[in-house]
Amino acid sequence: MNDKPVQTALGGVTYLEHIPAMPKRERILARLGHRAATTILTDDQTAFLERGIEEALLLCHVKGAYRRIPVAECTDRIIRLENGTVFQSAGLAQLLSRSTEVVLMASTAGSAIMQRIAEEVSTGSAALGLILDATASHAADAGLDWMVSFLNGTLQRHGKRLTSRRFSPGYGDLSLEHQRIIFDLLDLDRMGLFLTEKYMLIPEKSVLAIAGIEGITE
Amino acid sequence: MTRKEFQQRLAEQVLILDGATGTELQKRGMPLGVCPEQWVLDNPQVLVDIQRAYIAAGSGAVYTCTFGGNRLKLAEFGLAEKNREINAELARLSRKAAGQQALVAGDIAPTGRFVRPFGDLAFEDAVAVYREQVLGLLDGGVDFFVIETMLDIQEARAALLAVRETCDLPVCVSMTFDQAGRTLTGTDPVTALITLQSLGADAVGCNCSTGPADMIQVIAAMKPYAKVPLLAKPNAGLPKLLDGKTVFDMSPEEFGAFIGRFIEAGVNLIGGCCGTSPAYIEQIRKHSSGLQPVAPCPRRFSAITSARTTSFAGPDIPMVVVGERINPTGKKKLQAELREGKTAEVRRFAAEQVAQGAGVLDVNVGMPGIDEKETMLKMVDLLSPVVDAPLCLDSSSADVLEAALRIYPGRALINSISGEQAKMERLLPVAAKYGAMFVLLPLDDSGVPETAEQRCAIVERVFAAAGQYGFTKNDIVVDGLVMTVSSDQKAAAETLKVISWCSTSFGCCTIVGLSNVSFGLPERGWVNAAFLAMAAASGLTMVIANPSSETLMRIKMASDVLTVRDKNSSGWIAYSSQTSASAAPGQAVGPERSAPEKVYDAVLKGDRDGIRELLDAALRGGLTPADAVDTCLIPAIVEVGSLFDRKVYYLPQLIQSAETMKSAFEMLEPMLATTGVQVVKKKAVIVLATVKGDIHDIGKNIVGLMLKNYGFTVHDLGKDVSEHDIVRAAKETGAELVGLSALMTTTMVEMKRVIALARKEGLTCKFMIGGAVVNEQYAAEIGADGYAPDAYAAVKLAETLSA
Repeated sequence: MNDKPVQTALGGVTYLEHIPAMPKRERILARLGHRAATTILTDDQTAFLERGIEEALLLCHVKGAYRRIPVAECTDRIIRLENGTVFQSAGLAQLLSRSTEVVLMASTAGSAIMQRIAEEVSTGSAALGLILDATASHAADAGLDWMVSFLNGTLQRHGKRLTSRRFSPGYGDLSLEHQRIIFDLLDLDRMGLFLTEKYMLIPEKSVLAIAGIEGITE
Repeated sequence: MTRKEFQQRLAEQVLILDGATGTELQKRGMPLGVCPEQWVLDNPQVLVDIQRAYIAAGSGAVYTCTFGGNRLKLAEFGLAEKNREINAELARLSRKAAGQQALVAGDIAPTGRFVRPFGDLAFEDAVAVYREQVLGLLDGGVDFFVIETMLDIQEARAALLAVRETCDLPVCVSMTFDQAGRTLTGTDPVTALITLQSLGADAVGCNCSTGPADMIQVIAAMKPYAKVPLLAKPNAGLPKLLDGKTVFDMSPEEFGAFIGRFIEAGVNLIGGCCGTSPAYIEQIRKHSSGLQPVAPCPRRFSAITSARTTSFAGPDIPMVVVGERINPTGKKKLQAELREGKTAEVRRFAAEQVAQGAGVLDVNVGMPGIDEKETMLKMVDLLSPVVDAPLCLDSSSADVLEAALRIYPGRALINSISGEQAKMERLLPVAAKYGAMFVLLPLDDSGVPETAEQRCAIVERVFAAAGQYGFTKNDIVVDGLVMTVSSDQKAAAETLKVISWCSTSFGCCTIVGLSNVSFGLPERGWVNAAFLAMAAASGLTMVIANPSSETLMRIKMASDVLTVRDKNSSGWIAYSSQTSASAAPGQAVGPERSAPEKVYDAVLKGDRDGIRELLDAALRGGLTPADAVDTCLIPAIVEVGSLFDRKVYYLPQLIQSAETMKSAFEMLEPMLATTGVQVVKKKAVIVLATVKGDIHDIGKNIVGLMLKNYGFTVHDLGKDVSEHDIVRAAKETGAELVGLSALMTTTMVEMKRVIALARKEGLTCKFMIGGAVVNEQYAAEIGADGYAPDAYAAVKLAETLSA
């Protein structure tokens, strides 16, 4: 063992240094305004798109973290966790109405891709920058998808699963200020993330989410 | 029990394992949320009763109640420092329950953390955590070990090494696969099997996650490659939650009906996992009675693995291309990046080579000015999670290879071990410990032999030494030693003789570093290709080459067909259809377009690289700069806008066309200035900014690009800009329009402040806003003059507002 004894992850947070996340191509295209029924690409444009997506995937280093916390109380607009954390949102409360625990999650596509996007848009090819940007957005989302799938795999053997949807701060009536609560509970400094005064995550292609754990009853 | 005795026992009879422990403890009063290990120590008779019930039902082995007995899991209950004594005491308890009637397996399970490269737990720390637990279980007198419910191959490797480095007892490793037949970190059953049996597992298998039906498929997939016995512990069907308790949907009788099929598929150890009880074990006994285990009888194969997939090599399967590009020799950019600790070039080479058909990636980072070991470890850490292809660890340093093998989450190929005495003595035991395949380089302390006969003699000598460490001919790949024909034209023939001898007489895989053959010659690609075809005919199984060479790849694929390695030519047909499709023109050929029409087309298609040449041709053909603008560029960009509006174009096409326009204007503007012709009416001055507190600016930047292309004068203030700076800039530039961008609900309110300040200071300019969280309604609310949902809409809005 190394000099210092191995400690458990801080407060039960599990950190993932490399998530094998693969964003869905159709989502990337949709974000770029592609419509399957109408949009027509030449061979060159298709090749340009594919190269852009491939390049983005190379530069995205998807990392993540998650933490499970039991729910102490869930009213019609307030969710109180066992550690004293409170979320105020009627939409989230409805989602978690059958949940015994919440899972807080974070995923980031990393900073290398952001640097490249900025370079392309300012001095290179803005079109390529857009493709990189869209791919990175969905790579971060795919990181969350991977964690959801992973957690469902582990929960299933206990007759449990995650709620079919997940909430992110800024979604519905869950205000963006909740970013700070999740950021701190996951200790995301440790992953190299930063939260601005206005609750924006840096690197920009980073996302936070909350889902509930509920029993499989049917 | 020795490993040999263990194997003997499994060869003679199916070993029935126990069923679930956790749910049985709960049935007998263990509350939820407590530490099971501590609760059992406080209530020892409960476990003794459960395990005796399992033995009475037929279990020939019971697992210690130490699933959560590692330091990291026990720390959740403040028991980390007591882990050794807890494991020892629990092992003694199981020993007491089993007596001489059954074996006791020391149970080791996940830490709950992810090990690098997937997680943040250092590999050596994981090994150390497990080593502590192993010592405790040994203190308690276990007969063998079971590493179970492993979700991640790297964590399984850490646990297996911890056992192997601590004692010589048998150890089984059991992974958890989902219904798609993958672990949660993506490893398939055959890959897991090959990795773990190479690393020294005495049995490999699966438990949990699925019921018997899915698990039989996993066992059946593993069996043809299993050199060790196989283990299965399925759940009692699928779980659900009933009144707060997890229940499973399969009865003991239904469960029992699968047992015969399990044994037929090749299982040598079988028990139950979640939801099972002594009643299920009784069914296993009933249905396995009189059935003989199927002994491991693997087909001959040579294979290396990554964390997720296996790459096979051999005379009957297509030649494996080992991508050679991750090697700094002659690559200045890669050298610079490695020195600076950057990885973009390595990632690019890795992805490109895999996409081009490499089945394995050679990784060589030897160069002056870097710490080779540190860099190699970094590359293994980097590449393992991002590419599926296994790695060929290429170094002349034994220390580098040993360190890389230890953390590599699969079965690697070492490049290389030669007949040099010191190298053999140092590397053969290392390769054996980590279960690696190795490239056998037929040279020795006397140097490189000239003749094939001398090289073959070295192969036999190195193989004899390797055999003492358990290596078989399937575990080695002989390098034919390619020498450059420009210095000795007969050298190629000697290499081919070595390949032929290995293929037809000695019986092992072969490899060559292809490009050396043509060193010093012109048009090297043709020489390389010809040599590859000749080597393929001699039986070559692997080639270290650059897969970006289409000639080489075509020769390889065609050779696979002609040597009957590509069954039914299916690989060739697939490859050909793919390459011919991309090579095809793709678009209907119409009448030849005029030079001005080609300029128009270039804007329409977003051909930024080609526009200047086309424009130049058109101008030389008599088109004036003013006409180029009026009759080609403007109509083209208007058409692009229309296509975007109709969703025929998507955003990158719009921007590609805009960038093409920009390039054309940059070329034309000096010409237009000299003629004094004002063909493009200068439009309004616009100030653009992403508001204070907001750092997202790609959307605003794209809008700026579009506005410039449509003739607006744009002053882009950047991001996170205060209301005072925006208003000041609007005054100083005399802007008629101000465009504001915000992406978040917390920053969109800044837009209102900007407009309020502008009005307070008497500015009459108009405001347009955009961003993910704003809309037309919000624009109206804050007194903005309009909202644009995208870059083209922003152009149209700007034109309307400034008209």
